Amino acid sequence: MSVATFLSDSVAVAENEFRQFRRNRSAILISLVVLPLFFTISLGAGRGAAGTTFSPTADIPIGFVDNDNSLASLRLWQALTSSPDFHNLIQSYNEQATIAELGTKRIYAVIVVPKDFQNDLENGNQAKLILYTDDSEPGVSDQIQSTLTSYVQNFDPNVEVQPHLSQVQRQSVAGVGIVAKGAVFAGFNIGLTAVLAIVQIFAAFYEIAGGISREREDGTYARLLVSPIPTGSIVLGKTLFDILLCIIRTFTVLGISVYGYGARPSTDLFTLLALSLIVALVTMGIGFVAASLKLGQRAVVIIEFFLILFLFAFSGLIIDINLLVGITQVIGNLLPFTYAFDALKRTILLGRPLLSLTFDLEYLIGSILASYGIALVLLHVSRERLIT
Amino acid sequence: MKSFVRDTVAITGKELKQLRRDPVSLILTIMFPILLIGIFIVIVSAFSATSHNVPVVVADLDGTPASNALIDELTRSRFIHVTQLVQTEDQAYQAVANGQVIGAIVIPQGFGVALASGNAFVIVSTDNSKLTSSAFVTAAVNQGAQDLVNQASLGEGVNFALKLAPIEVITRPLSGRPPTGDPILPGFLGMIAILGGFDDIVNAISRERERGTFPRLTLSPVSLFAVYSGKMFATVVLTILRTALVLVIFSLYGLVIRGNLILIFLTTILIAVFTLSLGLAMSTRIRGSATLTVLEIAMTFPLFTLAGTFNSPLLLAPGGRAIADSLPWTYGNDALRRLIYLGVGLNAVAGDLLILFISSLILMPIAIFLSKRTM
Repeated sequence: MSVATFLSDSVAVAENEFRQFRRNRSAILISLVVLPLFFTISLGAGRGAAGTTFSPTADIPIGFVDNDNSLASLRLWQALTSSPDFHNLIQSYNEQATIAELGTKRIYAVIVVPKDFQNDLENGNQAKLILYTDDSEPGVSDQIQSTLTSYVQNFDPNVEVQPHLSQVQRQSVAGVGIVAKGAVFAGFNIGLTAVLAIVQIFAAFYEIAGGISREREDGTYARLLVSPIPTGSIVLGKTLFDILLCIIRTFTVLGISVYGYGARPSTDLFTLLALSLIVALVTMGIGFVAASLKLGQRAVVIIEFFLILFLFAFSGLIIDINLLVGITQVIGNLLPFTYAFDALKRTILLGRPLLSLTFDLEYLIGSILASYGIALVLLHVSRERLIT
Repeated sequence: MKSFVRDTVAITGKELKQLRRDPVSLILTIMFPILLIGIFIVIVSAFSATSHNVPVVVADLDGTPASNALIDELTRSRFIHVTQLVQTEDQAYQAVANGQVIGAIVIPQGFGVALASGNAFVIVSTDNSKLTSSAFVTAAVNQGAQDLVNQASLGEGVNFALKLAPIEVITRPLSGRPPTGDPILPGFLGMIAILGGFDDIVNAISRERERGTFPRLTLSPVSLFAVYSGKMFATVVLTILRTALVLVIFSLYGLVIRGNLILIFLTTILIAVFTLSLGLAMSTRIRGSATLTVLEIAMTFPLFTLAGTFNSPLLLAPGGRAIADSLPWTYGNDALRRLIYLGVGLNAVAGDLLILFISSLILMPIAIFLSKRTM
């Protein structure tokens, strides 16, 4: 078969895909609207947009019990209430009653200033603050503790108005400052790396594996297989169709991230698009392999769910891959998506040129070729099985 | 009334029988909890490892006993692994830029002298694209500096004119438990109830429609309300089984469950019933089981963040917190956390359970009304 025939068959398959897609309102909605919008908006709402700085502890109701009633404890109260991190400090006089409120959602922590607080400070001893926390709220206890510690590290009871602490002073322990260097990311940049990849993986797998499965259940895939179109053209045609959807999705996610949440990617549009397509192509390859296994539509969706959950744990999305232990690190290092997330972070966050990420690119392209190769063989071998 | 109960029981029995005959769905019912908890264990074991060995280089431009003491502290850190001592600041930064290491720690010239006057500083350059590892590098340097200060205050090791921080914060957690990743576990139970509820609705309505058995069911002399009640009771039974399985896994993992078990089961049931009600309403518009499953899964992932599974909704940005507050699941997860982790009683979670119950009560008639209209 000539290359021209092969390509014209592929284009015909792609056209057929588009026609079917255009007629399927729920597919358009899920693929181009729900998935990109839902993931981007929910993550953006959780993290906050660029320019809108917020302190996680600012609005958390926290009890403050002053058992010392001294000038030092009063200044500590003033320092905390005038800070941007403790807007909801509630003064209380009964320690036991206030602690009893923990776990009721009325307050989430209690700061107790013990007796002799001022005496200790005056005598050059280390004074103590007791922080009772509702540790059933994940992350809240640590957040309040670290924010409070950063204030009291540099607290001076002799000063009426405590100086404003810079980020450097907050990170530092008494006596040794830490000057942090390294790229600081604007607004939603970290969210963009995750959303872009997850949306492409989620959608591409569903469109390829789910699409073939739907066609098989409708009986149209059997007709496609008995037509004189080779398997390669079917695979290429479906890939071309999905590439266009991936491009639209990339622009949707990028548009919401940049204009809605103030993301400022440190790379150019071409790199973003190229990486987004590479992620989609890796997923499509795996999708074709899954399609050759004669799975039902619902099974495809469920596999997809497990795949994404798997990626959350093993591909460096939540935990850096170097922090995984034992076999989990080996699994992480084998997953092509690990290198996709790495490349996205290095380009979007650090501004590295795409072509400098040689190993990531080699691994990803190798994975695409391998998965497409396996898929072609499997689809060819299981041709008869897929018709019946 | 008697016939309504009898019909409801008959439909419940039919649902459970169908599930027993469908091995894929049956396996999924068991796999959801196990997989989710497996992922939790991977994440927690990565964070709670005895050493993290994040690779760093150190440039000591001071070369004094003070800087040597700090390097000693850094090499002892459980967070980082000092792979190389480099000569210049540029070499240190270059190692980070090349991706050889995740952090570079530069001890500047005059560090020892500045330490005596309390104005010392250390430069820490990190590859911030590695979000967790870079935080570990900063934590290691902080810890090293703190240990130097502590040694000085105890008169041990090298003696610099260092002062302790004026105030120490002593934290006492309400549960009295050691700090672990365990507070996340009740949220996982909530997510399992949500996923289970969504899965049940796909089995109960969409697949039945696809098989063509749903119209037959509605044409039988059973009221639509009894059909939906039966399907809901099947979900209740399955939720009880899933919850029991998860609680056994939690116990094997070492989590001490403090709350009243009946209240825990009641909470997961209410979460599942609310999810089922929402799924019923959605299924009146979305007919295909695969489409419905995709939509439900797409809805589930954001809930990990917004409904307080990984982190408390209190720590979300204002917009996210508003969304979290409007989701009934947030209250379910919250109730589960306080029940399992703190062991509170009914009065502490009654408000949360009421929100879930009322939300289901509002959604269920809407779902039945929509279902009748689209039948």
